[in-house]
Amino acid sequence: MTLANRQGTGVVVPVERNDQRFRAGQGTAAGLSIVFRKFRKALFGKPNSDRSDTEGQFNVQYPEERLALPEAYRNMPILLFDDATGHELCTSCFQCERVCPPQVIHITQAKDPATGKPVPSAAEFIIEYDTCMSCGYCAEVCPFDAIKMDHDYELSTSNHPELDVNYNRLLRPVSYYETIAPTLWNDVRESAMKKLQNNIKRRPGAIGVDHGQKVGAKAAPAAVARPAEPAGGGASAVAPAAKRASVAAIGKSMSEERLAKLQSIRAANQSKRGGAGAPIDTAHAVEADVAVQPSTAQVAAPDAATPGSVAPGATGPVAAVGTNMSEEKRAKLEAIRAAKRAQEGE
Amino acid sequence: MALLLKGELRSKLQAELPAALDVRWANQATAPETAEHAGALPVLIEDDAVVHAAQIVPVAHFLRDTLGYDYLSNITVVDYLAFSIMELVYQFYNTTAGGADVRVRVRIGRTPEACIVPSLSPTWPGANLQEREAYDMYGVVFPGHPNLARVYMWDEFKGFPMRKDFPKTGDKYTHVTGE
Amino acid sequence: MLKTEELRINIGPQHPSTHGVFRMLVTVDGETLVDLKPVFGYLHRNHEQLGEVNSYLQNMPFTDRLDYFNSMINNHAYARSVEMLAGIEVPERAQYIRVIMDELSRILNHATALGFMLGDMGAWQTALLWGLREREKILDLFEYVSGARMMCNYARFGGVARDIDDYFITETRKLMDGLPHYFDDFEGLLTNSEILLARARNIGVLPKDLALSYSVTGPVLRASGVPYDIRRAEPYAVYDRFDFDIPVGTVGDVYDRFLVRIAEMRQAYRILEQAFQQLPEASGGHINPKVKQQSLKPPIGEAYARVESPKGELGFYLVSDGTGNAYRYKVRAPSFINLTALADMCKGYKLADAMVILGSIDIVMGEVDR
Repeated sequence: MTLANRQGTGVVVPVERNDQRFRAGQGTAAGLSIVFRKFRKALFGKPNSDRSDTEGQFNVQYPEERLALPEAYRNMPILLFDDATGHELCTSCFQCERVCPPQVIHITQAKDPATGKPVPSAAEFIIEYDTCMSCGYCAEVCPFDAIKMDHDYELSTSNHPELDVNYNRLLRPVSYYETIAPTLWNDVRESAMKKLQNNIKRRPGAIGVDHGQKVGAKAAPAAVARPAEPAGGGASAVAPAAKRASVAAIGKSMSEERLAKLQSIRAANQSKRGGAGAPIDTAHAVEADVAVQPSTAQVAAPDAATPGSVAPGATGPVAAVGTNMSEEKRAKLEAIRAAKRAQEGE
Repeated sequence: MALLLKGELRSKLQAELPAALDVRWANQATAPETAEHAGALPVLIEDDAVVHAAQIVPVAHFLRDTLGYDYLSNITVVDYLAFSIMELVYQFYNTTAGGADVRVRVRIGRTPEACIVPSLSPTWPGANLQEREAYDMYGVVFPGHPNLARVYMWDEFKGFPMRKDFPKTGDKYTHVTGE
Repeated sequence: MLKTEELRINIGPQHPSTHGVFRMLVTVDGETLVDLKPVFGYLHRNHEQLGEVNSYLQNMPFTDRLDYFNSMINNHAYARSVEMLAGIEVPERAQYIRVIMDELSRILNHATALGFMLGDMGAWQTALLWGLREREKILDLFEYVSGARMMCNYARFGGVARDIDDYFITETRKLMDGLPHYFDDFEGLLTNSEILLARARNIGVLPKDLALSYSVTGPVLRASGVPYDIRRAEPYAVYDRFDFDIPVGTVGDVYDRFLVRIAEMRQAYRILEQAFQQLPEASGGHINPKVKQQSLKPPIGEAYARVESPKGELGFYLVSDGTGNAYRYKVRAPSFINLTALADMCKGYKLADAMVILGSIDIVMGEVDR
C-alpha cells in the first residue's frame, strides 16, 4: 500500500478513572516506591545517563563542564573574513538588513575614494546584539556566506552600549567558523571562496581589509574578541568533557566504521608529520558502552597536542575540526593545514 | 447533522431566515485583478453569507440548533479602511461531523454609530473574550455583553490600536525618540 | 450573629503559579470562591499589528514567541496558513517532518504542563522536573535540527528549513526507547496517588454542553467528553495516515484532564513510531524549492488554517492584499479562548483549587496576550 493510500484508524477511548477502587494510601505508597527507586539510581547509578534513560544522573556541572553545541546552533551573528588575504566576505548587498525581522542590522556601503562609486564591501556594519532575535535569517539569505551564526552565548555584560557591535568586533576568521561548524562550512566553502575572489578584484586599495583584521590570521577562537575566555580553559574543558562524553555527543554523527577509518587516516597523517602529538588512545577513560562518543575526546586531544593547530577552544569537544567530515575531506583538510604550517615555517 | 456544502449556507438562510441576509452585498461578487487598491477588497465568494448585524444572533442560533454547527471558533474583525467598512467573520464548526468551517460575515461601518453588533455572549458564552478583544482593538461595540471592557490595553486607554488609521509609530502614549 | 463579608483578593500578575503574568481578581466568601475576574494584557506585545508590518517570512520568528513552549507547532500552523493563502504545495517528506516535530512538542508540552500543575498543587517539583528532563532531551533534538531549543523558527513556506538526518533519527529513537518507561513511572507515581485524587477529583468540573458553548478546545474539551480532535475532524499534514486513538474524559474535572493528557502522550508516541516507519518512503525533499520565501506575494484572498496544538485549536487567519505584508493577521489562540471558562469552572470551589484549575487548563501567556 503506498503511503498516499494509507488510511489511519482510531477510536474514542474514555479514560479510566477507577472510581470504585478502595484507597487507603497504597497509591501514594506505590508512587513513593518509584521515587525511591529513582533516588537510589541517581545516587549510585552511572553518571551522564543516556538519552534513553529515565533514571540516573543527568547533571552537567556548568561552567566547568559544558554541553557540546550542535553545528546548527545559532546565537548571535558574526561576519567572516578570509584567513589568507584578510578580505571580508561581506559585499554589502543589504540582503541581511532587508530580511532581519527586528531590523537590527545597519550597513553602510563602502565607496571608492577616488571615483565615489559603491564598492562591494561594507564600510560600517552594526548589529544591535541586545535586540537580535537569533532567528538566523541573515545567515540563511546571505548569498556570499559572509554572515554566520556564532555559538558563543556568554555575552552578558553590564555595559549596555557594548551590545551595539560594530564591524571590528563582528569579524572572525573563516578558520574560526570552520571549527564551530565544519560540515556547514564545507558545503559552501568553494562557492564562497570563488565569489570572494571575484569581489576582491572589484575592491580598490585596502577596502575590504580595513577593519582591524590581520592578514594571514589563524586565530585561536579563544583569543578573538572575547575578553574573558582563557585559552587554557578550553583545553582543560576537554578532559572532564571526556567523562561527559555521552551527554556531550550532540553534534556527532559518525558511525563506528567511519570512526575507525578516520582514526586510521589520522594515524597515517600523524606518522607522516613525524609522529608529533599523542598517539590515538582508543582505551581512553570512557565507559565502554558508548563507542562513538570517545571520538570527541580523542579527536580533541591530538589537536591540542599538535603544534600550530587551532586550539579546541572553550566550546569544548564539538569544536574540534573534522569530527563531522567524511574521510577524504578530513584528509584533504589535514593536507592543507600541513602545507600551511610548513608555509608558516614554525 | 450533515455538513453544509459550499454555498449551501446562503441558500439555507434564504429559505429559513430571509431577513437575515444582507442584500447590499449580494451582487458584488467580483475577484479583484490587481493589488493597486489601498487595502484588500472584500472578496465575496459564492459560499459567503453576509448577514445584517442585527440578525447575527438568530443566525448563530439557527446554525447551532438546526444545522448542528455548535462550536464557534473565531470572531475576527478586519478593517477595510478604503471602503469604510469593518467586517466581522464568525467561524463555526460542526463537532459531531467534523470538517470545514462555515463563515458568517457581518459588515458594518466605522463610525461610532454604525459600529454596533448585538452580542452573542449571553447565549453563547464562548464569544465573550473574543468580543472584548474586538472592542478593545477595533472599537466594535456589542450591546448585551456582560462585561465589555478592554482586554489587552489598560482601561483608560484612548483609541483602538488595530484600526488602520491608528498611527503605528508614536502616539500620545509613547515618546518618539530620535533614532 | 457574626457578620461575614466577601473578600476581594488579587492573585498575580507576579505569582509563581499563574503560568506567566496573569492576574485574577478573586472574590471569596470564607474560603469559597464566589467570583473570579481574569485580567489580561500584561504580556501584550502587539503581535497582530507586527504581522501587518512584517513580511510573511519575517513574521515566522515572531510566531515562535506566541506559545513559546511549542514553537514548532506555531510555525507549522503559520506556514500552513500562508501556504493555503498562496497555494503552495508541501512535499510529503516535509509533512512527515512537521508531524514528527508536532508530536514531539505534544509530548514535551503535556509532560511539562502536568508537571507544572502538580507543582501548583504542592507536589514540590518532583513531577515537574521529571517532565522537564524529558523536555530537555527533546529540546536537544530541536536544537540539533533547527539551531535553537525553544525559538525554533523551523517551518518555511513549502516545507521546513533543514532536513533531518540519521543522527536525529537515531537520537529520537533512543529517546523513544525511554519514553514508555517514563509514562509508566509518571502514571505510577501520580494516577493513583491519594493526594492527587483528593485535590483533583471533582474539582473544576466543566460539563459537556457548557464546554462546547465556551468554545474551549484541546484536552480541556476532550476531558469534558466531546471527542473533537482536529487531527481527526479535519486532517492536515498526513495525519490521516496514522492510527491513533482519541482519549476522552467522562466527568470533566481536573483529574480527567490529567488522565487525558497522559493518554495523549501515549498516543503521540504511537504516532511518532508510525511516522518514523513511514518516513523513508515519503516522496519529495524537505522543502518545495520553487517557493521564494522572502519575496512571497500571495494573491488577494483570505485563509484560515488550524492545527491541534497541545493546548487546543491554534489557527492563523490571514487576509492578503497582494503585497508582501499581510493585510490582516489574526491568531486564534487556544489558551485565550479556554480562559473564557475559567470563571465558571472555579466558582464554588476553594481558593486553593483556583490554582489547580488554572493549571489544568494549561495556558501560556505568550498566546493569551499575544
